[in-house]
Amino acid sequence: MELTIDWYIGLSAILFSLGALGVLTRRNAIIVFMSIEMMLNAANLAFVAFARHLGDLDGQVLVFFVITVAAAEVAVGLALIVTIFRSKKSINIDEINLMKG
Amino acid sequence: MGIFGLAPLLLVFPLIGVLFNGLVGRRFVEYNRQTGEKWSGWFGSLMALSAFAIAVAMFFGLGAHEFHAETVVLFDWIHVGDFYVPWAMQIDTLSVTMMLVVTGVGSLIHIYAIGYMHGDPNFSRFFTYLNLFLFFMLILVSGNNYLMLFVGWEGVGLCSFLLIGFWFDRVNEKGETMNANAARKAFVANRVGDLAMILAMTLTFWTFKSLEFQPVFDSAVEMFESGHMVHFGAFEATLGGVLTAITALFLAGAAGKSAQIPLYVWLPDAMAGPTPVSALIHAATMVTSGIYLIVRSNVLFEIVRASEVVIPGINISSPDLVALTGAATAVFAGLIAFTQFDIKKVLAYSTVSQLGFMIAAVGMGAYVAGMFHLITHAFFKALLFLGSGSVIHGMEHGHHHLSHGHHDEHDTFDPQDMRTMGGLRHKMPTTFAVYMIGSLALAGIVPLAGFWSKDEILAHAGTNPGWIFTVVYWMLTVAAFCTAFYMGRQLKMTFFGKPRHAAAEHAEESSPLMTRPLMVLAALAVLGGLLNFPFFSESAYKAASEAHDYGINLALEHWLEHSIASFELSEEGIVHMPHTPTWIQFDVAIISTILAVVALLAAVFLVYRNRWQTADERDPLQSTPIWWMAVLPFDTLYMKGIIPLFNRLADFLGYKIDWDLWHNFVHERIIRDTFVGFANFASDVLDRQGVDGLVNGAGQLTRWLSGGLRMSQTGYARTYALSILLGTVALLAYFLWPVIF
Amino acid sequence: MGILSLLTFFPLIGVVALLIMRKASDNALKWVAISTAIATFGMSLVVLGQFETGVAGLQLIDRFEWIEAWGIEYHMGIDGISILMVLLTTFIMMLAIPSSWNAISSQVRQYYIFMLLLEVGMLGVFLAQDLFLFYIFWEFTLVPMYFLIGIWGGKNRVYAAIKFFLYTMAGSLLMLLGILYMGITNDTFSLPDLISGRAAFADVQNWLFLGFAIAFAIKVPIFPFHSWLPDAHTEAPTAGSVILAGVLLKMGTYGFIRFNLPLFPEASVEFAPAIAVLAIIGIIYGAIVSFAQKDVKKLVAYSSISHLGFVMLGIFSLNNQGIQGAILQGVNHGISSGALFFIVGVLYEQRHTREIKEYGGVWKAMPVFSALTLIVTLSSMGLPGLNGFVGEFTILLGSMGAESLGASPWIFTAFATTGVILAAVYLLWMFQRVFMGPLDNPANEKLRDLNSGELAIMLSFMLFIIWIGVAPSGFFSLMDGTVSKLVADIGSVLLAGQ
Repeated sequence: MELTIDWYIGLSAILFSLGALGVLTRRNAIIVFMSIEMMLNAANLAFVAFARHLGDLDGQVLVFFVITVAAAEVAVGLALIVTIFRSKKSINIDEINLMKG
Repeated sequence: MGIFGLAPLLLVFPLIGVLFNGLVGRRFVEYNRQTGEKWSGWFGSLMALSAFAIAVAMFFGLGAHEFHAETVVLFDWIHVGDFYVPWAMQIDTLSVTMMLVVTGVGSLIHIYAIGYMHGDPNFSRFFTYLNLFLFFMLILVSGNNYLMLFVGWEGVGLCSFLLIGFWFDRVNEKGETMNANAARKAFVANRVGDLAMILAMTLTFWTFKSLEFQPVFDSAVEMFESGHMVHFGAFEATLGGVLTAITALFLAGAAGKSAQIPLYVWLPDAMAGPTPVSALIHAATMVTSGIYLIVRSNVLFEIVRASEVVIPGINISSPDLVALTGAATAVFAGLIAFTQFDIKKVLAYSTVSQLGFMIAAVGMGAYVAGMFHLITHAFFKALLFLGSGSVIHGMEHGHHHLSHGHHDEHDTFDPQDMRTMGGLRHKMPTTFAVYMIGSLALAGIVPLAGFWSKDEILAHAGTNPGWIFTVVYWMLTVAAFCTAFYMGRQLKMTFFGKPRHAAAEHAEESSPLMTRPLMVLAALAVLGGLLNFPFFSESAYKAASEAHDYGINLALEHWLEHSIASFELSEEGIVHMPHTPTWIQFDVAIISTILAVVALLAAVFLVYRNRWQTADERDPLQSTPIWWMAVLPFDTLYMKGIIPLFNRLADFLGYKIDWDLWHNFVHERIIRDTFVGFANFASDVLDRQGVDGLVNGAGQLTRWLSGGLRMSQTGYARTYALSILLGTVALLAYFLWPVIF
Repeated sequence: MGILSLLTFFPLIGVVALLIMRKASDNALKWVAISTAIATFGMSLVVLGQFETGVAGLQLIDRFEWIEAWGIEYHMGIDGISILMVLLTTFIMMLAIPSSWNAISSQVRQYYIFMLLLEVGMLGVFLAQDLFLFYIFWEFTLVPMYFLIGIWGGKNRVYAAIKFFLYTMAGSLLMLLGILYMGITNDTFSLPDLISGRAAFADVQNWLFLGFAIAFAIKVPIFPFHSWLPDAHTEAPTAGSVILAGVLLKMGTYGFIRFNLPLFPEASVEFAPAIAVLAIIGIIYGAIVSFAQKDVKKLVAYSSISHLGFVMLGIFSLNNQGIQGAILQGVNHGISSGALFFIVGVLYEQRHTREIKEYGGVWKAMPVFSALTLIVTLSSMGLPGLNGFVGEFTILLGSMGAESLGASPWIFTAFATTGVILAAVYLLWMFQRVFMGPLDNPANEKLRDLNSGELAIMLSFMLFIIWIGVAPSGFFSLMDGTVSKLVADIGSVLLAGQ
């Protein structure tokens, strides 16, 4: 069995769906974060697969960007979560609804 | 130029008098009454005499100049586009004649006034006005154009206003300021005539492109001969038509100034002024300006006569209208004079009547006869007025003598009422003598001045063909009869019989300062006929004209011929003017003399034979229709008709229309209140409820809508994430839809 | 900066001086204002000295770009139409300012500041040759006058001031529209350029003419736009009335000659009979209404309507006599009516009433004053030999020869001439009731005759009343060149129309 592009895309889609499901269902902010990371990496996987398939380096370059942005995002996001925890003594995102209209 | 270089002095002397008396005269009089009056009065008189001297110089100058007209240009006056009028004097035989009359009679009256005005608190002001009058009158007669004539014309009107209103603070029993009213009436009536003058001048300028006499007459003759139409702007008319309008307007102007029907009403009222004024302005000089105007414009009148254009509607030509107006005025005023009790009012109506004679004369083309009567009338009417002034002075003196101690009577006594006089011939013999001469001259008794001049007019009317001349002849004959009658009545009432009032009993002769000028005038009234003494027969005239030596006969005619151009035109056959007989017409003369004598005798020995024993007696004519003349006609029409109407119109326009309607109703109620009302509507209704409502409504709507939307904002991160997901799915579906299906 | 700009803004020096002198006494302030006014008059004489008579076009021009993007220039110039108006303005101001010496006692500093500002505005109106600049000066004059009436006026002053302001303002707006329209179509606001480029707006010139005409008609005022005049005149302080009658009303007649005639010649010819009819109604109506007045000042105010009717008739005769007569009559009216308002002020100052029936026999108490008043009255009613007659007669002469008034111009002349009779009627009736008759009101016995200051003012008026009456040719020659050219231009339009 040859590993065609379809398998990579299928794995990427499954990972993305799992990440999305995690974001929507979990209450713990850290886990939501991890789910987001998973979605990003799912996208990375798709980029790399397509880059390899099309013989074009652009997708791989983009993956580096995503990794960098994700690192930055994690840093800011964790900082936010730490701050929220300090004030709320909780990281349950259901309790954070200050933006309610 | 020679002697004519002196001409401007004619105007300068009176002007110096005005400045002297106007600026410093009052100080002199206030400083010392006696000497002050002497200075003020004699200075004024000296200026008048100096002007007379210049006029005499002009007279001799013209003689040496073969009677050719000379123009002395002083300086530019108005120069606008092609309209040019200078200040310039025309020295010709006509203007010099007027100058001599004005300054000659004027000087005598100045001197007389020194006596007459003695003691008046405004003595110097009186002489200021008199000199100012001379100044304007000399401008009137010496100007070389119509506009300058008009300056004098209105200027003398102003002086007349000032002098009639000289005692402007006097009030009658009803509290009316009669003198000031009379002054204003004179000015306004004159202005009605002046309206016509202004129109005539504007029309004259556009027709002939000049207002200077000589160019106007020259181009009138030229246009008449060539038959050109008058054309200016978009206006076009025949020369005859335009000249008819101009001459008719001149008549209206003359009617105002020379007190003809229907504008004569101001002259009797003008007697409110001091008597020297009545003599100078309202008898001898100013009122004759209308005659001067027509004589000066003789060419225009004769061209109208020659072109046979009639005034539409009445079908007579304008010169004929002039003649008829004059004749009608002569009769009409002569009759009114019957009804007067005021010594000066009789003379005033007499003046109106005599002016009618002159106007009739010039209207008939008898220019020389008109001027002749103007001159003699100046002599004897000035004499009569000054004589009446002397009588009034005497009566006041007598009354003053009486009323020492009891002043209560003072207000009701009228020194001019002839009913309170009587028998004055014994008290005032000099005045009586000269007054007698004046009266007889006016009545036209041979051989006094009035006879010759009046007869020349009558002869002219009697000998020329045409119904106009016949009508005028008979009207003037009736007027002559009237003249003799009312003078007889006046003589009887004033000088004969017994004194009917204590004042008349104590009347005294006036001072020599007053009587001497009277004597000079009396002499002129006797000898004035020599100025234009007629030949006694046709053969005598023919002999003289063949010999080219007329002696003293027809002196005035030969003198004036040089400035009355229509004589030359008629000799050249360009115009045909009525001819004045050059020898005496015995039929006319005999009829008029008989009538005059009969009238005098009838007045003295028939109608008023036993009358006037007491002051409150009725006049025998009081129950006849003649009496209505005094009250019925024009004066009543103006005073009771036009003036109240004008007052009501003015009140209506001024208060009802302009203030109540236009100012208050239209502007305040309609425009302002509508605006304010609209503003209130805008602020209360539109703004509060409309605009505000709109804005508030928008706010409400937004709030309601946002209330719904806000439900979507739960604040849960999950919700947002879900919406992102759904959004992505929706977008994907949108983009992929066409790919998949 | 040219002499004209210097002249126009010269009174500002006085304004600055008045502002700086914080601690000065009232008298010192008055002297500053008076000497400024005299100096300005002197300046205008310098302008007269540099003015070349007989030249038709603008002289002493001061011109540079101002707001380039819109084609607006700062353009001042003087010609035969302006010169007399400028001299009249400085002359009347020179007499009006000292005439308030006793009359104004409150807020003296502000009063004289407004007076001098008004002078700036009026001079600007007569000298500006750019329509935009003109409009600014035109509206600017309203402001000081508004305050002069509103602060120092009589009982009803605020009402009168607002009415004056609104009435004139409303009229000017139509003119502003016209100015903007012409400015935009021609890309310039400069008057000489607009005149030479008038073909660009010739098709709408009737509307433009009306826009300008209404603005000016209200200012003149022509019947029936006169309703603001009696209010403004009766409520204004004496000097305000003198200026109003003397100069401000002339801005209207000046506007007609300066703008309407050269910019819209065809429309001027077309509207001439209609305006002449209004002018004649004004002559007669103003005179009759004057006659009915019980208040001296109102009487004089209404007489202005009558007199300015003559001026309008002259302008729309559209010939040399008519227009030159109209300009001169504008000057004459400024002098005579200015003097009459001054006379009323002299009486009012002493008796504090303007009711005619309160007076009578004043001649006995004030002989010098009365004699001079008589001369002014006579000048106002057009006695020959005095100034009023020269203007009136040339105007009537012009109207008789006016091609613009159709084939029967004499009808216009005849009706207008009745104004001569009516003037005698109402002025003499006024004179008689105030000055003649017995001195029976005890309050009048204490009237004092003119003091030396008042006498000097009266004599200054007198000088011109007689000068213009006897030798007006110098005055005519100042404007002859410009007016002759204007008349020739209109004449060529008339010819082209036939």
